[in-house]
Amino acid sequence: MVRKIIEWVISPMGRIAALITALSLFSLAAYGIYQTQQPPEQPIEFTHKLHVGLGIQCLYCHPGALRGPSPGLPTQNKCWGCHQQIAKTFESEKLAVLVEHIQNNEPIKWVPVAQVPDFVHFTHRPHIAAGLNCENCHGDMTQVEIAENPQVMNMGWCLTCHKARAGDDEEKLIKLTDCGTCHY
Amino acid sequence: MSKNISRRDFLKLATAGAATTAVLTGCGPASRYVVREPYMEMPEYTYNGLSTYYATTCRECAAGCGLIVRTMQGRAIKVEGNASNPVNLGKTCARGQATLHGLYNPDRVEKPTKQGRSATLTNDPVLWDDALQIVADALNNTKLSEIAFLLGTAPDHLFDLVSDLASAIGAPAPVRFGALSMFDSRATLSKASENILGQAGLPFFDLANADVVLSFGANFLETWLSPVAYTRGFAKMRRGNPKRRGHFIQFESRMSQTAAKADEWIPLLPGTEGLVALALGRLVAEAKGGAIPRAFASVNVDEVVTRSGVSLEQLEHIAALVAQAQAPLAIPGGQALGQSNGLQTAEAVIALNALTENLGKPGGVFLSPLAPNEDAYHRPASAQEMTDFIAKMKNGGVKVLFVHGVNPVFELPKSFGFDEALGSVPLVISFATFPDETALASDYIFPDHHGLESWGYQRPATGTMQPMLSGAQPVVVPSFDTRATADVLIAAAQLAGGKLAEALPFKDEVDFIQGKLASLVGQADGSFSAPEINTFTAYFQQHGGWWRNSQEETAPSAASALGKSLHLDAAEFAGEGEFFFLPFVSPTLGEAGANKPWLQELPDPTTTVMWNTWLEMNPETAHELHIENDDVVRIVSEAGEVEAPVYLYPAIRPDVVAMPFGQGHTAYGRFAAGRGSNPADVLGLHFNEAGDLAFAGMKVKIEPTGRTQPLSRLESRIGVYGEGLGEEH
Repeated sequence: MVRKIIEWVISPMGRIAALITALSLFSLAAYGIYQTQQPPEQPIEFTHKLHVGLGIQCLYCHPGALRGPSPGLPTQNKCWGCHQQIAKTFESEKLAVLVEHIQNNEPIKWVPVAQVPDFVHFTHRPHIAAGLNCENCHGDMTQVEIAENPQVMNMGWCLTCHKARAGDDEEKLIKLTDCGTCHY
Repeated sequence: MSKNISRRDFLKLATAGAATTAVLTGCGPASRYVVREPYMEMPEYTYNGLSTYYATTCRECAAGCGLIVRTMQGRAIKVEGNASNPVNLGKTCARGQATLHGLYNPDRVEKPTKQGRSATLTNDPVLWDDALQIVADALNNTKLSEIAFLLGTAPDHLFDLVSDLASAIGAPAPVRFGALSMFDSRATLSKASENILGQAGLPFFDLANADVVLSFGANFLETWLSPVAYTRGFAKMRRGNPKRRGHFIQFESRMSQTAAKADEWIPLLPGTEGLVALALGRLVAEAKGGAIPRAFASVNVDEVVTRSGVSLEQLEHIAALVAQAQAPLAIPGGQALGQSNGLQTAEAVIALNALTENLGKPGGVFLSPLAPNEDAYHRPASAQEMTDFIAKMKNGGVKVLFVHGVNPVFELPKSFGFDEALGSVPLVISFATFPDETALASDYIFPDHHGLESWGYQRPATGTMQPMLSGAQPVVVPSFDTRATADVLIAAAQLAGGKLAEALPFKDEVDFIQGKLASLVGQADGSFSAPEINTFTAYFQQHGGWWRNSQEETAPSAASALGKSLHLDAAEFAGEGEFFFLPFVSPTLGEAGANKPWLQELPDPTTTVMWNTWLEMNPETAHELHIENDDVVRIVSEAGEVEAPVYLYPAIRPDVVAMPFGQGHTAYGRFAAGRGSNPADVLGLHFNEAGDLAFAGMKVKIEPTGRTQPLSRLESRIGVYGEGLGEEH
C-alpha cells in the first residue's frame, strides 16, 4: 500500500499536489508560529512607555523579581493609588476599564507575556543578584507600548548570555550551562 | 486513486495525521492562555502565579494535626500535612484533606441569623452590632450560674478564653464534648490511667517502637484519639526497622479497618476483652516465671476461655509472643471500653503493660505531656456528665446556652433528651459554621469562621511526647460575613462592661492569643526561639506552632499498677434482643464529615459502601433470617429503633451487628440531610464506671421491613461469597 502512495506521489499530478500541500503546511506553520510570537491582548491597554517614561521603577510594580521566581503583578490598589489622583482617569475612555474594575472590586485579568515553558524553572532573583538590569532581557520599556518581548526568550538566547557571563571561569561556566540548573 | 483504502490503512493514516497535528499544535506556548489575577490588596509576600503556603491546624477532629495549605490567587486549593508538626509529621487523614469541602461548602451559614429554632435555616439577617448586643445582654442580665458554654472536644484557644471568662465572672466552666470523645471513651482512659499509672490524662502508646502490639478494640488506624499519629507509629512499627517487623493482634468482635491490618484478628465475645487481658496477664506471668502479681492472681484462665470464646491455644500462643517480646504494647480502646465494665477492662489492659515493664520506655506506655502553657489536664465531659448537664438544662438551671464546635442534637443519642432539654433553655445561641441540627434548634446563629479562616492554637491531647501547641492562622480571607467567636465574646464583653470587660481586656482574638503565647517566649529547647512576643508570634505562624524539641518522658510507675487485685465484672447488656449492637465511627466521615462530598464518595475501607449507612451482618446469620444484601431492616433496642440496609459482612461475629456512625442527619446541608441513619438513636443511657457511654452495651432485635435499598458500593455486587449472584436460599 505504501508503494502505491509513493508511485502516485512521483507521478506529475502527485508532485503538484505534494508541492501545494508542502507550501500550505509551511505557511500554516509559519503563520502559527508568527501568531504565537505576537504579544497577547491585555484587558487594559497599559503602556509601559508612558509609565516607565515617568520614572516609575520596575520593582515598584514587579517586586517579586528581587525575591524569587515570579516578579508578580501590581495589585489594583497599586494602580489606583496614583490613578485616583489623576484627573484623566475619569475622563479617558481607555482608563474607564480600570475604573470599572476598581469599582466592581474585580481582578484585572492580565495575560503574562514573558513566559517560559513549565519545564524551565526560571527565577529572577539570581539574575538580579548577578547585577543584571531589567532592560538587559526585557528591553527598553520606555519604547514598549503594550507589553511584548523584545526577542524570543528561547534556550539559545539564555545560554548565549550565560556563556558570556561565565567568561574564563570554568566552574562558573559549568554551573551556568548545566542542564540541572534550569531544568530540575 | 483508483483503489480503495482498507480500514487498517485508513486507521494508520488517520493516526499518523492526528499525531502530527498534536505535535504541531504543541508548538506555541500554551501559557499565553493563562491569566493572572492580582488581588485588590495583596499581602507583600504573595506573588502572582505562585502559590502561597500557610501553616495552620486541622480542626476536623481534636487530634491537632498541623497542615500546610496551598493557596493560589486567594483560594485554598490543597491541604497537606506540616512536616514539622510532631503529631502528624506531614501526614493527613481523609478528613483533613476534605476540610476544603467545608471551607467552600455551598451550605455554610453566611451571616448572623435570627434562627428562632425553625426547622430550616431562616436566613433572617441580624447586624453584627445587634448580635454583639444580644450576647452582651445575655451575659449581663443572666444569673451567672445559669450561663452555660458547650464547646467542642478540642482544647483550643476558645476553650481557654471561655475558661478564663467563666472563672473571672464566676460562671460555670465550659463543658467540652463531641461524638468522637464519646466513642473514644476518654474519661475511661483517663480514669484507668489515674488508677493504674497514678496520673489522670490520656496515655500515649508508643506504637512506633513496639514489637508486639495487642489492641483491645482500639481502632487507632481510623478515628481513635490521634489517628494520623498512630497510623504513622504503626507504619514505623511495621516497616521502620529493617531488622524486625512488629506483630499486631487485634481483639474486636468485627473486623474494622484496624483489625484488617492485624496479623491476627481475634473476634471475641463483646465485653470479655478485660477477661482476656487478665488471662493473658496470668499466662505471661507464668511464662516468665516467678510470682504472679496480685493484679492477675485471681483470674481463672479456663473460665475466660469459655466465656470469651478464645481458645486456650490461642491465649497461650499470644502469651508466649508477649513474654518473649522486648516491647509488648497493650492498648485499650473502642468497643472494649464502651461496655459496662469498660473501666475495669482499661485497667486490666494497662496493667498488662505494667506486667511486662513496658512503661516509660520505647515501645511502651507514657503519659501524654501537658502543653507548654497548660496547668492541668482538662478532659472533655463524659457521657454521664452530659446527662447531668442536660438535667440542669431541663430543670431550668441554664438560662443562656452558647454552643460552639459541637452538634449535640445529632451527636448525642436521642435517649439523652438534649433536643427536648433545649426547650427549657430560654436563649440558645449557636456559633456554628454550618446549619447543623443544633444550630437550627437555636434562637440565633452567630457563625464562626471556618477553621481555615481562623486564628488560634490547639493543644493536642495526645499523639506525641513533645509538649506542644499547634498554631492556626487564616489561609484565605473569610468568604462570608462571619466573625471569630473569640472576637464576638471579647467585643460583647467590652460592650457589657463591668466585670465582663475586666475579664477579657483584649483588643481582639489575636491580642488574646499573643497573651497566651507570652509564657512560651523564654522557654528553652523550643522548635524556635525569639527575643520578644511579636517575633515569636511571627515564627509561631510561620512554623504552625511551637513545640519542645525533646520528648517529655514521663515514666509512670509500675509499682502500684500490679499491686491491687484486678477483677472484672461480667459486661451487662441492655435489651432483650439477640444481637450485640456495635456502632463505630465511620472511618471516612468521622463525626462531622457528612456534609463533605469527597468523604461521602470515599468508599468505606472494609465494605466499600459510599453515601449511605449500612448494617453489617454475618452472612450465616443473614441466611438464617432470610435476609439478603440491601434488604432494609429495623434495628430495635430498648431505647429506640432505626432502619438501615444490610451489608453481608463475613468478617463479623454471627451474633454481632455493626453500624457506622456519621450519617442520619436531618440538617447540615444538602449532602448530609436525609441520608442514611444514625445508630446513636438506639443507644440507651448506660454507662461504665468512669461515666463514659456503654455504646457497645446494647442488644438489639432485627426485624425485616420488606423493603430494599441498594447500597452504592465500589466493590463487585457479587459479594464476597457470591451472595449477589442470586443463589437460592
